[in-house]
Amino acid sequence: MTDLLQLTFSGLTTGAAYALVALAFAIVFRGTRAINFAQGEYVMVAGVSAGALHAWLDLPLAVVVAVVIVVGALCGVLTELVCVRFVRRDDPHTVTLATIGLGVAIKAVALILTDRKAYTLPGFSGDTTLHLGGAAVDAQALWNCLLVVLAAGGLAVFLRAVPLGVALRASADDAEMAAASGFSRRAAAAWSFGIAGALAAAAGAGLAAVSPVNYDFGTLLGLKGFAAAMLGGLGSMPGAVVGGFAIGLLEAWFSGYVSSAYADIVAFAVLLVVLFSRPTGIFAAVRVERV
Amino acid sequence: MLLVAALALGACGSDDEGSGGSGSGSSGESASKEPIKVGSLFSVTGPPAVVGEKMRKGLELAIDEINAEGGVAGRKLELVFYDPAADTNKAIDQTRRLISRDKVDVVVGGGSQSGIALAMQPLLARAGILFMATEGAREIVQPVEERKTTFKATFNDTVVLQRMAEYLSEQGVKSLGFLPDTSGFGESAKAELEKVAPEAGLKVSTQSFDPTATDLTPQLTKLRRGKPGAYVAWTTTPAGTTFLKNARRLGIDGPLGLGIGSADPAFYEQAGAAGKGALLAAGKLPVYDLLPDDDPAKEVITKFVEAYQDKYGEPANIFASQAYDGMKLVAKALEATGGDTDAEKLAEALESLDTYRGVNGEFNYTAEDHSGLGTSDVAIAAWDGKRFVPADGAGE
Repeated sequence: MTDLLQLTFSGLTTGAAYALVALAFAIVFRGTRAINFAQGEYVMVAGVSAGALHAWLDLPLAVVVAVVIVVGALCGVLTELVCVRFVRRDDPHTVTLATIGLGVAIKAVALILTDRKAYTLPGFSGDTTLHLGGAAVDAQALWNCLLVVLAAGGLAVFLRAVPLGVALRASADDAEMAAASGFSRRAAAAWSFGIAGALAAAAGAGLAAVSPVNYDFGTLLGLKGFAAAMLGGLGSMPGAVVGGFAIGLLEAWFSGYVSSAYADIVAFAVLLVVLFSRPTGIFAAVRVERV
Repeated sequence: MLLVAALALGACGSDDEGSGGSGSGSSGESASKEPIKVGSLFSVTGPPAVVGEKMRKGLELAIDEINAEGGVAGRKLELVFYDPAADTNKAIDQTRRLISRDKVDVVVGGGSQSGIALAMQPLLARAGILFMATEGAREIVQPVEERKTTFKATFNDTVVLQRMAEYLSEQGVKSLGFLPDTSGFGESAKAELEKVAPEAGLKVSTQSFDPTATDLTPQLTKLRRGKPGAYVAWTTTPAGTTFLKNARRLGIDGPLGLGIGSADPAFYEQAGAAGKGALLAAGKLPVYDLLPDDDPAKEVITKFVEAYQDKYGEPANIFASQAYDGMKLVAKALEATGGDTDAEKLAEALESLDTYRGVNGEFNYTAEDHSGLGTSDVAIAAWDGKRFVPADGAGE
């Protein structure tokens, strides 16, 4: 019983990161119909820069987190610039492919700049361990779950109550109409990528406080976040959160009760099952388009 | 006579002995000044860049020192270097170039990745060129019957695991929770530990993890059910740090340890309080200055560390020392053959060298063992919060 609880907390810790990444996939997909495969690398960039800022400049934690969220947003806008504007073909498939290339490039640059070193952050409330029902929980795990709640809640309000958010939603529904009303597809794309970058950065800062991160850890995380987004239904915000935590929990339980060596197949097995049986995911937010 | 033969052999690469054996010696004087060409591949760019850069520097330091003392058998060493950037195909092309165009006499360094060294090995063996690898995998030199002219200057994970198992057993630990990552490095350790642990009277249960994992709680939770007396993780990634943090958080208070892939203070520093007291099973380099003065390793390592610091203005590490040792060993063998670069003669010379005290330990190559290092060169260190200190008393 204690073990189950312990594994569940472990699943929530990693699940929180998957959920944030899945949210980022969702927002980009809604804004551009493209899948941003550079997503995992943003998490890495944010995690590594958060750790580096903390180590070199000794800035307060809150400042570090704020700075990397801005850095993440800039990464997102930069992606839009590279993958949408420079490519000059804003059909979603080209953009998706371009993000794969950009992801590889980001990883290579990070490798060179960091010299393969790993960076870490202290926990947001210190190195505190909570004991809940016999399980030992890193207080940071709760912070990371809180980040997800804040991000998902903030996005929900933003997309419904803030004019810019409403415009983004409108553009996702009908880009032509939105453009005719003065909100261009380009603007929608830039904002979507920017927000996605900020979300990924929050995930990165949260993760760096749980475990040291280096140039190499974003790729797999991005793919698992993608599996989470697909499970929830690509483009659905609640789906992303549910999908993220579901993948995290399944992984933790699988490694605890079945096999830890093969825990990584969980996310991809889920992805395959979703693709075969219910390609729109649990929360079918998006019309299926034949491509 | 020997020198002429050596030169002719070197020039002809894979040709058999006959071509140079009957040299008249007329060009002996000038020929003796011809440098011995040392081919080398290290990945100074690409993922293993940090490792490769240190290896190249270690190798160059060794060559400089040897040349400053007049070279080997009257001939200077000349380095021919390529960077395969962790790409095995590139490394194969470069190895062919070393053989046929550069006509190198010996090769030291196998691309900074075991996979590359393994790919280079058959090419060099066929060309009759002695290959001193500075990479880790056992398979580079095993089975030894098929690797007669291939050696390596690194620890087999077997001896490191063996020493660690012995140490834990001495500390009264009966069962071990082992967490290797799922890379080749971890998988190999997993297989080897299963062989060596029973000899040390240690019962092992194993849970693997992905090298980029950010949470090892599930693995530890599962292992904890068997109540092992100690836990050891085997990886080259920051997951080693996560292991220490997660284990202490779960309230595990027995000994925790990391392996030779984690011989970097950063892994322990970043674990904070959880890093304190954690063990490291690796060579003696991290604790060299704390070894007792009568430990013969101390003088050799000190000399190396200081020379490296002087030349490059940065601290040496285990990777630099492996390449350094590899070159020095080959030079010893060349000294013994009088400069003859025939691979089989050099192999014989290496196998019959007296014990060579290198930075990594005492090398004792035999016809059966082309790794050379034994468990006595492995030190168990503990992180005291600031640095590594010897955990196994004398360090022997």
